[in-house]
Amino acid sequence: MATMRASSLDFSRRSLWTQLGSLPWGLILLICAMGMIGVAILHSATFTNPQEAGLPMRQATRFGIALGVLLVVGLVPLRWWFWAAWPSYLATLVLLVAVEFFGTTGGGAQRWVQIGPIGVQPSEFMKVTLTLALAAYYHKRWSDFSGGFMIHLPALALIALPAALIFRQPDFGTTLALFASGGILIFLAGLWWRVIMALGVAAIASVPAIYFFVLQDYQRERVDTYVAQLTGQSVNVMDDGYQIEQAKIAIGSGGWTGKGYMEGTQSQLDYIPEQHTDFILTVLAEEFGFLVTSGVLILWMVILGLGLAIALRAASLFARFAAAGAVATVAFYILFNVAMVLGLVPVVGVPLPLLSYGGTVMITTAGCFGLICAAHLGRNEPLNTGA
Amino acid sequence: MSTKRPIDGLFSRRALIAAGGGAAVFGGLIARLFQLQIMEHERFEVAAAENGVRLDLAPPQRGRILDRFGRPLAAHRQAGRVSIVREQANDLTGLMAELSKHLDISPERQARLISEARRQASFQPVTVKSELSYEDFSRLSVLAPSLPGLQVEMAATRSYPRGRDFAHVLGYVAKASEADLERLSEDTNAQERAAIRRLFKHPDMRTGRSGVERYAEDWLRGEAGFRKLETNAAGRIIREFDDPSLAPKAGRDLYLTVDAELQKFAIDRFGEESGAAVVLDIETGDILAFVSTPAFDPNDFVNGISSKDYALLRDDVEYSPLYHKAYDGTYPPGSTFKMVVAAAALEAGVINPNERVYCPGHYRFGNNTWHCWKKRGHGSVNMHWAIKGSCDVYFYEIAKRMGIETLADMGRRFGFGQRWELGLTGGRSGVMPDDAWKRAARGEPWYEGETLNIGIGQGQVATSPLQLAVMTARIAAEGKIVTPRIIGDGPRPDADIPFDEPLDAEIMQRMKAGMYGVTSEAGGTALRSGDLGLGGPRLAGKTGTSQVRRISAAERASGILKGDNIARRLRDHALFVAYAPHDDPKYAISVVVEHGEGGSKAAAPVARDIMAEALRIDARRTPSYIRTASTGSASGSGSGAR
Repeated sequence: MATMRASSLDFSRRSLWTQLGSLPWGLILLICAMGMIGVAILHSATFTNPQEAGLPMRQATRFGIALGVLLVVGLVPLRWWFWAAWPSYLATLVLLVAVEFFGTTGGGAQRWVQIGPIGVQPSEFMKVTLTLALAAYYHKRWSDFSGGFMIHLPALALIALPAALIFRQPDFGTTLALFASGGILIFLAGLWWRVIMALGVAAIASVPAIYFFVLQDYQRERVDTYVAQLTGQSVNVMDDGYQIEQAKIAIGSGGWTGKGYMEGTQSQLDYIPEQHTDFILTVLAEEFGFLVTSGVLILWMVILGLGLAIALRAASLFARFAAAGAVATVAFYILFNVAMVLGLVPVVGVPLPLLSYGGTVMITTAGCFGLICAAHLGRNEPLNTGA
Repeated sequence: MSTKRPIDGLFSRRALIAAGGGAAVFGGLIARLFQLQIMEHERFEVAAAENGVRLDLAPPQRGRILDRFGRPLAAHRQAGRVSIVREQANDLTGLMAELSKHLDISPERQARLISEARRQASFQPVTVKSELSYEDFSRLSVLAPSLPGLQVEMAATRSYPRGRDFAHVLGYVAKASEADLERLSEDTNAQERAAIRRLFKHPDMRTGRSGVERYAEDWLRGEAGFRKLETNAAGRIIREFDDPSLAPKAGRDLYLTVDAELQKFAIDRFGEESGAAVVLDIETGDILAFVSTPAFDPNDFVNGISSKDYALLRDDVEYSPLYHKAYDGTYPPGSTFKMVVAAAALEAGVINPNERVYCPGHYRFGNNTWHCWKKRGHGSVNMHWAIKGSCDVYFYEIAKRMGIETLADMGRRFGFGQRWELGLTGGRSGVMPDDAWKRAARGEPWYEGETLNIGIGQGQVATSPLQLAVMTARIAAEGKIVTPRIIGDGPRPDADIPFDEPLDAEIMQRMKAGMYGVTSEAGGTALRSGDLGLGGPRLAGKTGTSQVRRISAAERASGILKGDNIARRLRDHALFVAYAPHDDPKYAISVVVEHGEGGSKAAAPVARDIMAEALRIDARRTPSYIRTASTGSASGSGSGAR
């Protein structure tokens, strides 16, 4: 154990190479494959529009950067992340408050804050830092005590504080993401089943109240459209229902094997708004059909499964919670995005990691997998905090 | 680490439960994917196919109008057109500035075009100029690739290759105005109304405003089709499908009975004069030439004539180029009416053809004196001499004897006072006055003295050149019915035949003899015009002069003003009606030379030359729209047997 601690502290070149070599390369290669698929689909989705000609290249570049972020985050010793958990959480919280007062508006919501030359979306950082904070919290709690209901209340507060700030921006998707991945961590931390049941009932009961008093008008409209199309009512095809209807047409017309690469009439004719961002799956489904699309989803399951396996193998609770939280964050993105594109949940702006065009989600995803890699490298570290 | 806490097992159990839940949701999503992509595939495939396809209205090609031998009178011409498309233009103002270096576009018009382009859907082209010269078209075509947003293309435009020759017959087409749309959608339901509106709003669509173009609108128009276009969601055209089932159906060609060469000859023969001429095929009633001169060029109207140019045409009251003088123009027939008067008198039995009437040069009735055109009188004349010498006194006498009702009745049987429906817009009935007409029109009874005026074709009787030609043809055909027509193959007008029984052949033979005398016997008024210059056949005719103003007694005493002594617009019209060949009549003609003064001097030579040309080119030969037995079997059955 002493040698282990010495080696991970020693940042000699040889040691770095060793660390590099012991990264979970199977997982990383699968992530790279997913990134390549993303660039290829993006090429197909954008090549008819000359204004979007540069997008696939930019996406590839971003993926390269994201890969770098992944490796850096992964090679930083887990212990450092453990130390940084609380400060980074607090810093992100401060940034979120800053958005409230100094943020710039983008797409109808106030999400960005300017730090020097870079525009930053603190809500995205929060997905990673909240995971770190919760992992650090449960690590410490479970080292001190042994469960009990009360230990989960501070965790809930850790989630609710940033979620409330983000909801005010308003960014419903990220709010949901925080509650979902944070909730998963609370669940993993052993929340009693009877409390879970009670919360479930309460959540269902509060749906009308949320609908009428919490949601904004445009969010309410989306929910209305969603309910309408789920129940088979005719939706206003020129309006909100248009996007989801066009998406369904694109997906449904793909069939078993699709229309061929760059042959999707729906996709090539720009029928689907946001088709290169949130609705990128429609292009995949239309052009490559059911077999490839479900294959991509299964590939995602494999990647997430590998991540979860790392979480289960880790020794420290921090590593376990951090890796599991990272998996949950990415899984939420994927499941919610796919469900949304397939018309199963209301349209909330949630991108599909590694496939959708966009830098923020790419970096967040890379950060999550970097954390998983760090957990992998530091899987044997006990991270005893002076107990 | 080595010490087992309860959380370690708990975490693993919970993680596996969560993973199971996640996997279940993944499975559910894949099932949903299966439902959409495989189970409901067909429905969505159809939806996708319909999605990207837009049907754009495609206007039909308007049918051509051809003369009897298939020469195009109204056809199509490809005209260059330059438009701007906002969607493709980076900078509309810059594009317009660049364009104005090559085309003459006023700054106001530039501003108007730019604001129009901004108002319209971004992919909708806005026409900058529609009649590009060849040079402009080629220069702009070369330029177009380097100027995004500039669209240079060819479009079919109605054209009238014979220009003014058939202006009044064909009429013209123009963009449908609000009034046109109202007229075109008469007797239609709301849906058809909307379709008509949509069709005629198309920039390539025109509607007939007058003439055959208007009358035969339905025949010529054809049926609108669609262009099947693949578009993106913004409406931009990606490509065009070729779908014959959607193609517009071109309008049908329409054949007129006219001979374009004869028409041109006749118009040229009029030279600077204004007037009208109608040439009829006596046997069929085919109108071979239908001349009104001067005319306008219908090509000027297709893309809208400038108000300045239109005012020039409209305000020329003396030559009235917009007016169809052969069909809409009515003139007192003058002495050309004398056959009608003579025939009425014979049929009524008020005179024996051999009875002589003495003409001292004037005729007294009541307290007034009526004059013969020949001041010193014709002496004693029978009907034959009265016709060929055009003795007014003889006709005063017989008109007085029979009275206006008998005379008007014969006039109507010749077709006067009634409009001939030809399948053109316009057409006037003229006036065949009688007591009832005068009471209705003027609120006064008929005075017997007026009958004398009608007896020599003056006064209130008003006839169109077409009516005069029909009258002449009926005489030449010895009373057989001749119904004029101008549409050879096309929508046949419901001919409202003003008379349906033949005239007395024996009486008509006397009239023919009289008309032969006019051009070919001593004492005839148009001896110089009888020879057609074709050897044997001669022309038989009748001169006429229609008074434009009353001649006062004072003027008569001091000598009637003529020629250069009087303003052109006050001079009398010169008329001539004729048929030829005299022994086997084939063609009838009427000619009016406005303000030409003397029928024999001004109108008869024109009529003679046109008639000679008709005979020379055999204008009445079988038209190409009628298949004779031999050509019918060769081209119709397709058997190829010869």
